[in-house]
Amino acid sequence: MLARIGQRDEEALSALYDRYSGLVFSEAKRILRDTGAAEEILQDLFYQVWRTAERFDPAKGSLAGWLLVAARNRAISRLRRKSAKNEEFDEKGVTLKIDVESYAAQSLLLDKVRAVMGNLPENQREALECAYFEGMSHTEIAEKTGQPLGTVKTRIRSAMEALKKVLS
Amino acid sequence: MSNGEHIRVEELELLALGALPEVEAAALHAHLSGCEQCAATLAEARGNAALLAFAAKQDKPAGTIKAELMARIRANREAEARSAWPAKSREVEGEGHTRAQADSGGGWWNWVLVPAAVVLALVSLALSWQNRRIAAELERERKAAEAMVHDREQIEKLVGVLAAPDTVTVKLAGTADAANSSGIVKFNAKAGIVLYAADLPALPKDKSYQMWLVPVNGAPISAGLIGPGGHAWGSMWTAEVPANTRAKAFAVTVEPLGGTPQPTGPKVLLGAA
Repeated sequence: MLARIGQRDEEALSALYDRYSGLVFSEAKRILRDTGAAEEILQDLFYQVWRTAERFDPAKGSLAGWLLVAARNRAISRLRRKSAKNEEFDEKGVTLKIDVESYAAQSLLLDKVRAVMGNLPENQREALECAYFEGMSHTEIAEKTGQPLGTVKTRIRSAMEALKKVLS
Repeated sequence: MSNGEHIRVEELELLALGALPEVEAAALHAHLSGCEQCAATLAEARGNAALLAFAAKQDKPAGTIKAELMARIRANREAEARSAWPAKSREVEGEGHTRAQADSGGGWWNWVLVPAAVVLALVSLALSWQNRRIAAELERERKAAEAMVHDREQIEKLVGVLAAPDTVTVKLAGTADAANSSGIVKFNAKAGIVLYAADLPALPKDKSYQMWLVPVNGAPISAGLIGPGGHAWGSMWTAEVPANTRAKAFAVTVEPLGGTPQPTGPKVLLGAA
């Protein structure tokens, strides 16, 4: 599909958008809590895919993973009033070891990730969400929660381990 | 920070989550740029972290977003085609029999003008959309620039200490009051001090951590406050001391908020130079 986008095939971009726009938009909206800003990030991201598809090297990572990471980074930059940098495709590899391509796979993954998050102890979920969805560093989380830095790191690590275990 | 040659997986996971302060992240990126193994581990950690997107409540963007996107890419295609056309025309002219000469004049202009009008309309649409964005972005950029200047000064100070060939490293151990804490001081008599402190206990709101340089001769010299109100940057701090001071030891103590001229409170970190 990416090769077709690189050859300026609008239908391929349309299909890619249909496949991932919901995920990308929902992620950006969760971070920004602003529908308009999330839609702006969504559109910019797919426009970048259109313009630079030929630079993406599938050997270096997953396009779906890149879309999710790039959307998150841009949303966090905007949230924290930092100047956003447009990630080049080949700048940061993202390896997804799980299928997210089909709607069925996405649906299954939604259930799994929600189950993991639902089963995490409250303090682990809070630490993970502060980091991923609010862009807080571990020291900021420690200050917010009043917990020692080491405790915050342990909570994040434990939460990520739980996530990896279920997904594997 | 690293275990032997490679960065610990736990640190790469924090980096992937964006949970490391900028200075610590910058230090890891310096290693990552030359280490394929760590870069591959980071890519995997990023993939795992990205799956947290599935934890967000799923929603659909407005249908107009896709329509605008497709309009933008068509405008982009048309603009590309338009910019490529004159070159092709010149190429044909060079062969001595231009397409314009071959066609009747009216047909040629219709072929150019109609797509050009479409392109202009689409470009106008895209430009108006861009203008709205630029106005909002200008304000954001102004605020970001202020923060960046401050960050850059801190990075320059930090790099100045870390890169100096005569910088010495002093390990700080936690005292009985902070047995799980530790720290590393990078000290350069000309460039300053960098302290990396790990797992310091949370302080009451009326207290500050204060770093001290104990010189070979004389009373301890304050190297600044750590944490809110000090030269804080994640869990790394930079400080300046009088030039060419010879250090005997470094310590971190608990002091009243705002610090004191001389140490009065309990030591939490201590190390001999």
